Amino acid sequence: MDPYVVAIWIVRLAFLGGLYLFMFGVTRLLLRDLRAATRDPSGALARLVVVGSEVSEPPRGTVFGLDAVATIGRDVNNSIVVEDDFASSEHAALTFRGRAWYVEDLASTNGTFVNGQRIDGLSAIAYGDEVQVGRVRFRFERARR
Amino acid sequence: MTAAAGVRAPVRAGRIQPHARRRESGLLALVAVVLVLGSVSLGATQRQLAGQPASWLPADLGQLAIYLGALLVAHLALIMTGRRADQVLLPTIGLLGGLSLLLMERLPQALVTQSLLGRNFGLASIQLGWLLLAIAVITIAAIGVRSDSWLRRYKYTWAAAGIALLLLTFLFGTEVNGALLTIQVGPFSGQPTELIKVVLVIFLAGYLSDFRPLLVAADLRLGPLRLPPLPYLLPMLAMWAMALGIVVIQRDLGAALLFFAVFLALVYIATNRTSYVVLGLLLFVAGSVIAYQLFGTVRDRVDIWLNPFVDASGKGYQVVQSLYAFGRGGIIGTGLGAGLPLVAGRLPIPAIHTDFPFAALGEELGLIGVVAILGLYLIVIERGLRVAASAADDFRALLAAGLTLVVGVQAFIIAAGNLKLIPLTGVTLPFISYGGSSLLANGVVVGLLLALSDRGVEPPPPPRPGRGRRPAFLGGARSAR
Repeated sequence: MDPYVVAIWIVRLAFLGGLYLFMFGVTRLLLRDLRAATRDPSGALARLVVVGSEVSEPPRGTVFGLDAVATIGRDVNNSIVVEDDFASSEHAALTFRGRAWYVEDLASTNGTFVNGQRIDGLSAIAYGDEVQVGRVRFRFERARR
Repeated sequence: MTAAAGVRAPVRAGRIQPHARRRESGLLALVAVVLVLGSVSLGATQRQLAGQPASWLPADLGQLAIYLGALLVAHLALIMTGRRADQVLLPTIGLLGGLSLLLMERLPQALVTQSLLGRNFGLASIQLGWLLLAIAVITIAAIGVRSDSWLRRYKYTWAAAGIALLLLTFLFGTEVNGALLTIQVGPFSGQPTELIKVVLVIFLAGYLSDFRPLLVAADLRLGPLRLPPLPYLLPMLAMWAMALGIVVIQRDLGAALLFFAVFLALVYIATNRTSYVVLGLLLFVAGSVIAYQLFGTVRDRVDIWLNPFVDASGKGYQVVQSLYAFGRGGIIGTGLGAGLPLVAGRLPIPAIHTDFPFAALGEELGLIGVVAILGLYLIVIERGLRVAASAADDFRALLAAGLTLVVGVQAFIIAAGNLKLIPLTGVTLPFISYGGSSLLANGVVVGLLLALSDRGVEPPPPPRPGRGRRPAFLGGARSAR
């Protein structure tokens, strides 16, 4: 057999092998990426990010991971404690009900605001909405997975 | 009940610092090696077939060097601007585009010619030009898009622009192969459907993220189906009507299928409700039956799909030849440049560079190569859906998922059409088919995905501006203690 033809076939197969080498390299990166994502310990369903705060606790930039039920208020028994005289001790609750998230005002003195509007009792919220309790503004975000 | 709190340093804006992208560098180096190997194999094969002396020079060193140089520039631009965007997308797209360049170099250059400034350019040179423009679009979008509010705020404007483009095609389109696809302006021609698909996804992402809570709350019962209130069903019907309109007026089955499939997938992602998918599929079946009964083109396509060998030298010619090409390729293929025997001095498959590049690659790279190409598309889809999964809000998640699906579904539609898995519809194979509109539109898609994957992008603004004022809070409030 012509050695040139054999050599061409070797190059052709090397080309195909190279394609798979690329896929192998990418797959390894993707697996590492996925493992890192599953190791994320919080396991939270959603997040609340403090985007504006005029009080010492919580400061701007704080991130809270949310379970299916999370309460906000001044009392230390709340999942998110807001050290603000304008927040009630049990101010608002965020709940995940199967498909959607709801925020509920727990008859607070100064009200709970979603995107700048005061809510009445239970109200559905979407990711990206802004929730204000007292002088603290939160942005409601999807969990980073 | 725990709430993990962690303090994160506020994002500092406005400072540009180079940031290394080692994974991307490594993968791009691998892409360069693979493409050079492919080019060497193509060059050696072509010289051997032409009876020229043996040599191991790549087929067209200049074009390959320009292409790889452009990828390097894009990579360096992302490093210098300190983008923390996804590092896998650019090399994967680069490899797909490189395969396209190799294929175009391999096909007869006279398939497409264009003279510009007194010089004549052939197929590969023109495709190289479009690829360079697409890389530029990707880089500019990845670096330039720092906020998505202009996308989400003007969703109805985007929808209007999409419909206007569609109407333009209806009115001024020129007919190619029985489909009204192309708009001709002077020497330039373009396919607006490629751009419409991007605009459509932006609109749908905006619409669905705004009305998600309403769409999720079902209160209309139809037998086993639980549907949302009627007004919110209207967009679905409008979308269905639009897809059907594209079939009827444009006779562009591929675009209609693509739009409707992406729409259904996005509705499902937004609402997590199977009832919508069931309803959509029922509408799709009804629409298909109607179209099959009324329109000859649709009937032809389906008949060819069911049995192309009935009219193997007439209507079924393309599909039959495509099947032969896959058959000749076998498992490891004939090698780049060695396949696609000329039939009476012409390529075996008509429109091979736009509609059948998958069959051409199937013959020359074989089953192994075709599986690798499908794998590359899967990588793009995985990356895009990861971007969607880690997005901070619904709009970004839906936008990323929609953009990804547009590329993925389109690749599936044409690859499956080439393989006679579904009826053939004339859409392009993203990043591989010849054609400027397709490359540029897909460039916009990948650029936006890269921008969305960047964690440093400005956080989303509070939605629904204008509906309520920010409360003048401290006035009128009293201590709750």
